[in-house]
Amino acid sequence: MPVTVKTFGSTGEAASALSSDRSARYLGGGTLVMRALNEGDISISTVVRATDQALSRIDVTSSRITIGAGVTFAKILAERELAFLHAPARSIGGPAVRNMGTVGGNLFAPNPYGDFTVALLALDATVSVQGGLGARDLPIEEFLQSRERQSGALVLAVSCQRPATADAFRYRKIARIKPKGGSVITLAAHLPVSSGRISGARIALGSMAAMQIRARAAERALEGRALDDAAINAAAAVAAEGVSPTDNALGSAWYRREIVGVHLRRLLSGLE
Amino acid sequence: MLELRKDIFADERDDNLNEIGKGTQRQDMLGHVTGASTYFDDHKLQGMLHLKVLRSPHAHARLRRIDTTEAERAPGVRRIIRGADVPVNLNTLLSLINFGKDDEPSLAVDKVRYKGEPIVAIVADSPREAFEALAKVRVDYEPLPAVFDVEEALKPGAPVVNETYPKNTFVYHDLYDHQKLRFGDVERGFAEADHVLEQRYQMSPIEHAPTETNGSIAAPDTNGRYVVYTSTQALFFSLDTCAKILDVPSNTFHFIGGTVGGGFGGKVDTLTEPLAILGAMLTGRPVRYQLGREEEMQFGSPRGAERIYIKDGVMRDGRIVARKIRAYFDSGAYTRLSSYAVVKCAAHLPGPYTIPNVYGDIYCVFTNRTPATAMRGFGVTAMDFALECQMDKLAHLVGIDPMEFRILNAYRDGDMKAHRREAKNTALIECVQVAAEKAKWPLREDVKRMSSRTDGGGSRATISPTPREPAPQRAAASQQRTTYDRAPPVATQPPPSPTPPPPRPSTPAPSHGATRFSSVFGTRRR
Ligand SMILES: Cc1cc2nc3c(=O)[nH]c(=O)nc-3n(C[C@H](O)[C@H](O)[C@H](O)COP(=O)(O)OP(=O)(O)OC[C@H]3O[C@@H](n4cnc5c(N)ncnc54)[C@H](O)[C@@H]3O)c2cc1C
Repeated sequence: MPVTVKTFGSTGEAASALSSDRSARYLGGGTLVMRALNEGDISISTVVRATDQALSRIDVTSSRITIGAGVTFAKILAERELAFLHAPARSIGGPAVRNMGTVGGNLFAPNPYGDFTVALLALDATVSVQGGLGARDLPIEEFLQSRERQSGALVLAVSCQRPATADAFRYRKIARIKPKGGSVITLAAHLPVSSGRISGARIALGSMAAMQIRARAAERALEGRALDDAAINAAAAVAAEGVSPTDNALGSAWYRREIVGVHLRRLLSGLE
Repeated sequence: MLELRKDIFADERDDNLNEIGKGTQRQDMLGHVTGASTYFDDHKLQGMLHLKVLRSPHAHARLRRIDTTEAERAPGVRRIIRGADVPVNLNTLLSLINFGKDDEPSLAVDKVRYKGEPIVAIVADSPREAFEALAKVRVDYEPLPAVFDVEEALKPGAPVVNETYPKNTFVYHDLYDHQKLRFGDVERGFAEADHVLEQRYQMSPIEHAPTETNGSIAAPDTNGRYVVYTSTQALFFSLDTCAKILDVPSNTFHFIGGTVGGGFGGKVDTLTEPLAILGAMLTGRPVRYQLGREEEMQFGSPRGAERIYIKDGVMRDGRIVARKIRAYFDSGAYTRLSSYAVVKCAAHLPGPYTIPNVYGDIYCVFTNRTPATAMRGFGVTAMDFALECQMDKLAHLVGIDPMEFRILNAYRDGDMKAHRREAKNTALIECVQVAAEKAKWPLREDVKRMSSRTDGGGSRATISPTPREPAPQRAAASQQRTTYDRAPPVATQPPPSPTPPPPRPSTPAPSHGATRFSSVFGTRRR
């Protein structure tokens, strides 16, 4: 069966085309979808596109920012208001991949990819999804947990609060090839501080489980404390709690467990 | 910027040559940078069909049954090609020059020996239809034990990878399971040495990653001939190989190559042409067969991974007096070009240094990995890497500057090489001096004045007698043995009694997996 490409003006039509056909796949930037087609993935026989401008819109007017699913990393890097997301955007692929790859596609990118999603997880983002029956907003954690079942749904946008200070959000990607390459580990931390103490810490890890996950033990170790050596050490010591990494060509599960605490310590103490 | 040091060896050079010693622009450069170069895939022929291949998901498995009935009925399918359809379904590239036995089928028949080995080819109207038909081929595999480590593959009872070479080693001159180099008495050299340093080096296979993956288009021409557009970097090897596999005279083919979209050795193997031509022969239509990126990595050969053990005996004054090397080239499941890499490696020992006692055993070993092939200086690059790491460690051991240490041991004109040829026009000393100058690396005045043209020959030109049997090794009373990565670490005190004999090649040290480049830290990866 030849591959059919269906282009829709509205996201609603695209969403119903996706949900009604199991062999349909939405085309974001295509960095993964086109690779799959070229390498002979015959599970895809319909490619769905949507031209709705809303998908590539960035809304930064309030303290809450909204990024359309079709926004590319290159576009994020060109947007000064999104400086706190520049580090994660820059850590993805080379210029060619950043020019095409989208925020929406990154939510579905399997290990060792999905770096931007790690940042979004630490920022407690909300994912707007349009299913066959209508649109709804999901917390990103819930979205990721049900990702396999989301394949028929269209992601419209992601949104999150802007971190209060530049220091409150930190990101670090460990890769073997710089500047591009799959991740050995990706770490992001959101550390809001009120009267000198961390309140509502969120730490997210990539490539440490089948899905991007939160380092809850490390979050607990920081909660209510000042970000001093003792707190950092306590968080680093429990960084590997609850992780379930796998071996791949970039690193073994053993290695990932060994180094996650080291890199978390560096991230938290602001070391390069 | 190109800089020619015309002051050095001025008397040995003819400056009236037209090309050598002058900067000349490559003739294909302009086409490449302006995008005007034509690659094989720029030919879109009318009625062109597409060939795709079913590949083994197992590293080692017997093929019990291959059922293509459903695939034959799939839409767009023009022809299914199986091993039995290939006229001469066994080949090795260098058999064209009588080097090695034919050991690799174009399409697997009885068993598969590496993950990615081709089993069935399908020629269809579109790539997509070929992929869909491939999914309908049913293969009944019986997985077999596999071996992925060169030293494991040499142990008695190891799985036989490739029945053409039942001992898992390439056979040289119909007789020898490895290449040897013997010069002087290496055991006596170790016994006399002040320090002995033994190290293990493990290389990784490296993918050439050409921008253009291997591929070709074959089309019927007039008078029963076939025109073939190909990305090969070895046009006539490829043409002759196809004539042999397809059992036709070589003038049946008109091969058009020239533009290789990145080769580096990875396009020397004649991977796609035979089946593309066979497809064209069987369908009467032009057939295109290009590897996908993943296929390029699984079926296109990488640089072979080498494991190298180097044991050196060095005097306190920095002279290397004995060098013993045992190396294993991982050929993967088939020979391709690894056998030749081993010969080149043996010809390169012991590096560009004058060492009176040299001993080398180099094995080309078959494992259930992707067959390895040529890549930029293969057989030499990895060995050089190991030798030069070793040189740094030796320099450190005897407390001599590493640049000076190299100059001290470098070949000089008139020296005897381990291959019993006199060294001529050696120039290493001058190279190191210039490199040190460029890097602003301080050298002592007397070292700066040394030359490859003086102090050679004499006793350095002698061939010391080589014992037939290795003499028992005796350690000198003051000898210091240094071990970086072998457990248990040996004390720096002189050993009380004679040290045990060195490990024999047939009983290599047990080891699994690979050690990354730096064996200093003994970090082993599984
Ligand atoms: C060479 C290379 C390097 C890369 N390096 C990195 C890296 O360093 N870090 C990293 O994180 N990733 C990397 N990637 C992976 C990938 O490029 C990115 O993750 C990118 O964000 C994917 O986005 P896309 O729009 O191209 O996805 P696509 O290929 O278009 O789609 C990927 C998947 O997401 C689905 N999808 C896309 N958009 C939507 C939507 N709006 N709604 C529902 N489903 C959708 C598609 O249906 C598909 O299943 C790399 C890829 C390549 C080829």
